[in-house]
Amino acid sequence: MAVRAIPAAQEVVDVSTPTGVLNYALTLEHLENAFYRDGLDEFDDADFEDAGFDASVRERLAEIGEHEQAHVDTLTEVITQLGEEDPVEEGSYLFEDAFADVQTFLATAAVFENTGVSAYQGAAQYLQENDELLTAALNIHSVEARHAAYLNGLTEVSAFPAATDTPLAPDDVVTAITPFLDTEATPVA
Amino acid sequence: MRPLHERFLAEIAAERQRLSRRRLVGGSAKLAGGGALALSLAGMPRIGRAQDDATPEAEAVQFESDVDVLNFALTLEHLENSFYRDGLPLFEDLGTDGFGFSITEQIAAIQAHEQAHVDTLTTVITDLGGTPVEEQTYNFEDAYASETAFLETAMALENTGVQAYNGAGAFIEDADLLTAAGSIVSVEARHASYLNLINDASPFPDAFDEALTADEVLEIAGPFIAS
Repeated sequence: MAVRAIPAAQEVVDVSTPTGVLNYALTLEHLENAFYRDGLDEFDDADFEDAGFDASVRERLAEIGEHEQAHVDTLTEVITQLGEEDPVEEGSYLFEDAFADVQTFLATAAVFENTGVSAYQGAAQYLQENDELLTAALNIHSVEARHAAYLNGLTEVSAFPAATDTPLAPDDVVTAITPFLDTEATPVA
Repeated sequence: MRPLHERFLAEIAAERQRLSRRRLVGGSAKLAGGGALALSLAGMPRIGRAQDDATPEAEAVQFESDVDVLNFALTLEHLENSFYRDGLPLFEDLGTDGFGFSITEQIAAIQAHEQAHVDTLTTVITDLGGTPVEEQTYNFEDAYASETAFLETAMALENTGVQAYNGAGAFIEDADLLTAAGSIVSVEARHASYLNLINDASPFPDAFDEALTADEVLEIAGPFIAS
């Protein structure tokens, strides 16, 4: 079994409290949410068709975007309820390259979703003290995996490339998404 | 058909009764813990729909150890693995999916994953000193009646698998086992997404998946288990 020990000591991301873990998740959800919102603004049905995708694909992307918005809203609300720290806010992102064309938009979406799956997997253990928060995170995690499968399929990669996915430690996830962050202006939880 | 069907129902009833007895045994702890939880969560929004009808305390008495949780997962993985392994050869060519892949080949890949999950869980349970549940005899007659029935049953099994893992995750004590279970459930969710799509359903019908309790899962999976 791919039982991977995730190092407990984190340098950038504070996973020592539920709020820290949820703010980390919220950081990722903000990124994804902004990505779909702005990307779908950039590309209309005709752009998708020109790239060889029918309108249903753009609609699915819009559904995914709505899910990310729902995740942002829920995490923000829960963090606020916990009352320990403020929820992180949306940052400023560098999507110019990702929005070069529809194919790049979709390929980047696939990378974000697969990274999201690995991120929730790596962070779940830090919510073990709170069953309800853990279960809620798992219920988001599996939806990210559903998104990842669809986007993999669109980008001609297997929807399910292996029998197990690979968890990523929070610092590794932050490293992975840093190229998309305008770090001067973006808080990293 | 009839006697067999009655046997399934009896099996499920017995399983449910067993779970109820365990819940009864854990009843006092449930009462003691329940009040505090209700208070601490009173102000929190509902997250997804997971917690609508079961508190973690009510579920907690169903699993007494990590081995219990893993055996529950293994029960479902055996069911899925047998379903694909025995069913896929019955259908010559399931056609091409919207991505341009052969559905038969994709399902063969899914079956290989389920076999890998069975093998892994069996090994881990053994390493933990437990006794891994074995493959059972299943009743897939109706599910194999047509391509449509096969693909719809596959969809139902995968979506149930996701809900089952999501519901059981909170009962895993060991952090590494939780992470490992997470790396399996996301693959189940990928399968579910794909099977939804080829059954003309949304691959991701909601922003949040649901978490099911073990007895809710058994109620769904039970009718397929003949012995």
